[in-house]
Amino acid sequence: MINLHWLILLPIIFGTVVKLIPLKTAKKLIVLFQAALLLSSAMIFIEVRKNGTILENIGGWPDTIGITLRADLLASAMVLLTCLLFLAMITFVQNKHYADHLFFFLFLSLESLIVGIFLSNDLFNIFVLIEAATLIITILIMYKKANVAIYDGMMYFLINVVAMSFFLMGLGMLYKKIGVLDFYALETALSQVKDPQSLILPYAFMITAVSLKAALMPLFSWLPKAHGTPSAPSVVSAILSGLYVKIGIYLFIRLQTAFLPLIDTSELFVILGFITAIVGFVLAFAQNDLKLLLAYSTVSQIGLIMIGINMGTPHAYWGGLYHIMNHAVFKSTLFLTAGMIITEYQTRNMNEIKGVFRHMPTVGVATVLSILGIVGAPLFNGSISKYLISYGSTGTWIEYGLIFINLGTIIVFVKYSQLLFGDSNKKETAHSDILEKAVVLCLSILCFLGGILGSALITLLFKVNFPVDLLSDGIKLLLFLASLLIGILIYYGLFKKKNYFAVFNSIELGFNEICLSITLFFAFMVVYLKITL
Amino acid sequence: MIAINGESISILLFFVGVYGLIARRNTIKSIMSISIMQVAIILYFITANIAPGSVPPIGDVAQSLQVADPLPQALMITDIVIGIGVTAAGLTMFIHLYHRFGSTNWQKIMKKRNHHD
Repeated sequence: MINLHWLILLPIIFGTVVKLIPLKTAKKLIVLFQAALLLSSAMIFIEVRKNGTILENIGGWPDTIGITLRADLLASAMVLLTCLLFLAMITFVQNKHYADHLFFFLFLSLESLIVGIFLSNDLFNIFVLIEAATLIITILIMYKKANVAIYDGMMYFLINVVAMSFFLMGLGMLYKKIGVLDFYALETALSQVKDPQSLILPYAFMITAVSLKAALMPLFSWLPKAHGTPSAPSVVSAILSGLYVKIGIYLFIRLQTAFLPLIDTSELFVILGFITAIVGFVLAFAQNDLKLLLAYSTVSQIGLIMIGINMGTPHAYWGGLYHIMNHAVFKSTLFLTAGMIITEYQTRNMNEIKGVFRHMPTVGVATVLSILGIVGAPLFNGSISKYLISYGSTGTWIEYGLIFINLGTIIVFVKYSQLLFGDSNKKETAHSDILEKAVVLCLSILCFLGGILGSALITLLFKVNFPVDLLSDGIKLLLFLASLLIGILIYYGLFKKKNYFAVFNSIELGFNEICLSITLFFAFMVVYLKITL
Repeated sequence: MIAINGESISILLFFVGVYGLIARRNTIKSIMSISIMQVAIILYFITANIAPGSVPPIGDVAQSLQVADPLPQALMITDIVIGIGVTAAGLTMFIHLYHRFGSTNWQKIMKKRNHHD
């Protein structure tokens, strides 16, 4: 087993060194390197699973003074997921023309930073890593230097820098009150604080930034632009939407756990998550652009995850965490297949793409498998996590809300699946790259495996045991079939001819408006906390 | 009555920056507002928790003197570097943006961007 800090340093070092090797060899070496990294992260995961949390003080300083890396079960599971997805992405770009040395350097550095954020135990450290990651992602978004991408990238960059300024201000206030920046020490120190009123400001500042990173309801308008930029490489969109947005959720979980004894806002965030989920699928449905539809659907799924982790019941919580993993798998598959479809058809307009199934069979199969995952079809991974979340919320209004959200997701993906059928007007099947096909197929099979082995995987990943019956739960199956039927009926009855939601497309927030919404969210948090505490 | 000290001034400055972000349409002014926010944060960190008469933690300090907390100062050195990096990157991107869209106004750039799409 290697030390934790090597997991963070190695990708950056390798990304730099590889510049000396000719590109053709370098590409193959990077795949090998990534496989080795996946292996070592798996070893760390096994170690954590067996012997509990690993703590590493960098530089040999005593606890809470120096920088500490901490791998608990959640963190090491996320690291494992990161390494797996990056392996898939790097295999995917093997034959792409934009994959040069610089791209690999940036991509591997991004991997380091993401792993670093998951492992880091120090709030300031997380701030630094996120700032660096923001910069790298901006460059990756702009990688093909299209006009649109430059605007989207700059927007993404400045909005996230503003949010992280809020985070740092909150951090300063927290340090003034508590005197520690270490998550673990923070939990202990906060439990000593008698007066929660004094923590309102730091909490509000930090939670505003984290909510923006996680793309909650009023603060998500930067996400579709960044994730669905037309010219960004599809691997970048896949990583952003599948993995990077989960960093917001991860930080949210960490912050909520630390502040829980004093400030409990879980009810508010259940409602915010619910609104986010609904707004997300409504806007997703309004889109005609392949990538934008997927990006808005990410917003909707984030809402679902937020409901899960804030419900307060163990079933919903672990269901939410499992949904993080699942969403990473199927959303990145969908983005990769969307990228392949766009390259083949030379358009992003959904109305012009027809007959993917006949024209590109492998891509069609992968798309169908991941769509089945995201709508929560029985036997697929989405169904397990969605079932756990709804089981955990039995007896509340959320239980019915979840059925509604899933219905919305189904309608969105019924619309999306239109591009699979019909006649493409192209005679022979497309010549896609064999590696690309293999990657999307493997990832979509993971969706299926995640469903079949659902409860075993949850036990393996999180060390909790929830028996989930696959098919015996007849109600679940009936519910799904009924929603599927209603979804298809609604789509063909109402929306096939005219997209009533298209009016929402005209509403677009500029830079100033997004900054205003950040400030308003912050003000709202302060007022809300003042009233409830 | 709010005392005039580093803390209150830095919070004031921070929200001056936020005001600039909300109310100014000019891209360069947005970047400048972010810099103002960064300066405010730095001021906050190094003045918070400071005792009057304490000396900076540099070199050999006599035991009898009260030393300022070194951690926020170390953090702020990092933050200054990040701030400069962010401003530089933002301005570089602005040059590209200006070349492509020919405007410094967020609203106009947004319109042109949607026209491109």
